[in-house]
Amino acid sequence: MPQPALSRRSVLFHTLAGGLALACMMMSGGPASAAEAAGEPLWFGVSGPLTGPSAQYGAQWKKGFDLALDQINAAGGVKGRPLRYVFEDSQNDPRQSIAIAQKFVADPKILIELGDFSSPASMAASPIYQRAGLVQFGFTNSHPDFTKGGDFIWSNSISQAEEQPNVADFAVTSLKLKRLAVLHLNTDWGRTSKDIFVKAAKERGAEVVATEGYLPDEKDFRSTLVRVREANPDGIVLISYYADGAAIARQLKPVGLNQPVVAVGSVYSPKFLELGGEAVNGVHTRANFFPAEPRPEVQGFVAAYRAKYQEEPDAFSAYAYDAVLVAQRVIEEGGTDRTAIRDAFPRVKDIPSVIFGKATFDPQTRRVSGVRNVKLVVKDGAFALWDGSIPAATN
Amino acid sequence: MLPTTFGPWLDYTINGLVIGNIYALLAVGLALIFGVSHLINFAHGSVYMVGAYIGWLCVTKLALPLPVTFVTVAAGCGLLGAVIERVGLRPLRNAPRIAPLLATIGLSVVLDQSAQLLFSPDPRALPTQLPTWRIAIGGGSIGALDLLIAGVGIGSAGLLYGFLRFTKLGWAVRATALDRDAAQQCGVDVDKVNRTVFAIASALGGVSGLLVGMYYNTIDPNMGFQAGLKGIVAQLIGGVGNVPGAIAGSLLLGLIESYGIALFGTSYRNLFAFVALILILVLRPNGLFARARRLPPEPLTGTFIAPSRPLVLPKWAVWTLAALALALPLVVQQPYLLQTLGNAWLYALLALSLTLVAGTVGQVSLGHAGLLAIGAYASSLLALDAGVPVLLAVPLAGLVAAALGTALVYPAFRLRGHYVSIATLAVGEIVTLVILNWESLTRGPIGVTGIPPLSVAGKPLVSGQWVYWVPLIVLLAFAALQSRLLNSHLGRTLRAIREDDVAARSYGVDLNRYKGLAFAVAGFIAGVGGALMAHFYSYINHETFPAPVSMLALTMVILGGLGNVAGAVLGAAVLVGLPELFRAAAEYRMLIYGVVLLLLIRFRPQGLLGTV
Repeated sequence: MPQPALSRRSVLFHTLAGGLALACMMMSGGPASAAEAAGEPLWFGVSGPLTGPSAQYGAQWKKGFDLALDQINAAGGVKGRPLRYVFEDSQNDPRQSIAIAQKFVADPKILIELGDFSSPASMAASPIYQRAGLVQFGFTNSHPDFTKGGDFIWSNSISQAEEQPNVADFAVTSLKLKRLAVLHLNTDWGRTSKDIFVKAAKERGAEVVATEGYLPDEKDFRSTLVRVREANPDGIVLISYYADGAAIARQLKPVGLNQPVVAVGSVYSPKFLELGGEAVNGVHTRANFFPAEPRPEVQGFVAAYRAKYQEEPDAFSAYAYDAVLVAQRVIEEGGTDRTAIRDAFPRVKDIPSVIFGKATFDPQTRRVSGVRNVKLVVKDGAFALWDGSIPAATN
Repeated sequence: MLPTTFGPWLDYTINGLVIGNIYALLAVGLALIFGVSHLINFAHGSVYMVGAYIGWLCVTKLALPLPVTFVTVAAGCGLLGAVIERVGLRPLRNAPRIAPLLATIGLSVVLDQSAQLLFSPDPRALPTQLPTWRIAIGGGSIGALDLLIAGVGIGSAGLLYGFLRFTKLGWAVRATALDRDAAQQCGVDVDKVNRTVFAIASALGGVSGLLVGMYYNTIDPNMGFQAGLKGIVAQLIGGVGNVPGAIAGSLLLGLIESYGIALFGTSYRNLFAFVALILILVLRPNGLFARARRLPPEPLTGTFIAPSRPLVLPKWAVWTLAALALALPLVVQQPYLLQTLGNAWLYALLALSLTLVAGTVGQVSLGHAGLLAIGAYASSLLALDAGVPVLLAVPLAGLVAAALGTALVYPAFRLRGHYVSIATLAVGEIVTLVILNWESLTRGPIGVTGIPPLSVAGKPLVSGQWVYWVPLIVLLAFAALQSRLLNSHLGRTLRAIREDDVAARSYGVDLNRYKGLAFAVAGFIAGVGGALMAHFYSYINHETFPAPVSMLALTMVILGGLGNVAGAVLGAAVLVGLPELFRAAAEYRMLIYGVVLLLLIRFRPQGLLGTV
């Protein structure tokens, strides 16, 4: 790797982002050695979509990875050695993700694997990682059975069992909605989330009057929304990603729906505002991070992200960024032995994290709990902290 | 809000027409191309996507006024259409009919991937400059864009009608559509006609992309595939090659979907659409709006596949190759290589199955991934819920796939040519959607977890060598069986059906029985393949075997040579291997794959090993 290029970039980077040095210090997890990492690099592997229908998520991942590595390596890397990654394109396809898994497990330089994106692609590869004893660290894998693949399978993906009651709280307790209509992505994630949400909403005394599952590539929701309207809800809940969430929001008014909308945190993206336009004004969401939050983890990430890419970060780049911080810490703790890295997971505590604040793994579930969240509402085309106002009931 | 006397049904009807309107824009272009060149143009969806991006450049980067944007998009996409015709399709005019079909698939890969590289895979907003007033109808409202889309759809159909009926070039187009050779003999410049048709249809496709992009305020490089699929379905409902029928078919498809949602819920939407398609294909194969006494469509089966001299490997060579393949893991220990080849053998099972029905019997199936899914679910559920040992569950899954697959395709047995392809495509989608919705059996979108691996005498066959050997041994067994079958009396009968089904029937061949037999054998092979995949993957859900897998299988079969057993294996090895070989090229690898595919079709349209 050409060292000059790397240092030029990091110099530029320091001048651009003011509070960055502080962030770097914090990320390195110890007294910052101002020296840049040199020597033999340490590698992690990534299996994820760079082409194909899910490629946009892989592209966001890459931005999160690169940003985290810039910071880590500028602050001395892992015990003075730079951290690097190999990104193999799986197209989110199990046939390719298992081939990639074989490639990674046979490559002694790969210390830990991150990904894949969807459950079919990730979980098809799990047995290979488990048998070979290489940690598969899934950071978008919320499928409840993902970490049951074995003791080498870990995840810091947000647990829906934790996330959905928060959303239900926002809708039912804070916004006082009593008759909810739920629209959800009909995937393993959307379905699991919907089931937990419905239960949580009922426990809080609300009624769920309609649930509609839609396919990820759907764009037309008018008839679905008429069905929702006929159920006469007083609030609409979206268990969606940003593109489909924006599409639904745009079609609410044309079918005559004016009820308040509450969406899960995964709609948090500048793209949600861009694609939704005026229609997403007034959408409430319980996001896992918010750029204006004063927490140092968030500020370190957001300021650096803006400086490097001249755009706003979204949830998927934040997940990727967090995943690298975890990889760094477990490699630091476990060294270059794959089993020792697995054993390091329960020992590393309070890893700085954009999503969790401080992430600590539960050795039983091999997951992280304690997701951070803020109540937001879209105001004049931007996400803003929810000021506690309850939207006037329409209908 | 207006209290409606019709209840929500008025709204469902309006919504059906609104979305039907959007399908119509694509269906018209597809119908025009099919009418003239008897080609289902899978690249049309990609042209639509290109139109959306040209529009995006005009609107957001150049800030052109709307009419100029429209003209630029139409001109750009018209030019693209002419280029596609000239570079991608004209060199193939004497190749078998299947080659251009495959070329359009290759072109769409190249276009989609180029767009992704140029514009990034992120979706982008495409704001409209139209006024924002809305007209209230029923409980909802429609806007200026809805009316503009309807206007463009109906207006372009009207213009096309006038063009075809009253202009000299239009006459030439119709003459070419009726009989290409005769038209050429009468002095019609057939190439010019084709180029014109592609340019017009593509210009229309591009404008539709722009309009739909504005409608949803979203464009992305992958928007074409699903949209193209709906356009194809819509034009089949109306009757292929029938421009007014395409509009009526689109509106009807929109209504069917909307009422389907109204009655059963959103997750049944596409299920309803595809079941309707199959019903229409079976009951009115010329489409709902075909003229009553139209000639039956050209028997495409006979001309679909060109005869060629297949490359026949001598027996000793086949045995040597098989022995070498079996011995490979003793020499090569790299798990990645073995896994990739193991994947290739698993896909070769799918290709073997497809080459039997598509190549030998001439029933080109575009829904073969459905058989994999049936086999995979049958075997996993037998092993997990019924406690059947995996070793027994796999062949049982093959039987289930054979029985279910044949039963599902049975209504399509009376269809020919492209209609079979579309019917099987619908069957494939139906299988996926039933898996998604039949939760009590299949666990719906959550999928099946913890599928046990294949094991013999309590020892799981999961190590590096076994992921290679198990598929290979099964593949060799089926390949040997299929070769014997093709050389027998049965194989000759099946090929007779492909060459001329009327002649075959007059010789006393019961078409349905033989087709049924072929689909049963094919279903068994693919079912076993799917079952093996499930036991290797350990987790499956409805997204594990999506529609592009069917396309990939067809590509493998055509690449190897239709009906050719060795060709299917080679095709699978090449197409599973190529993307892995290009791995170093990261984002560029699918583009390279598309280009290689196009070159192969161009220079060896009968397949690498030739049609049997």
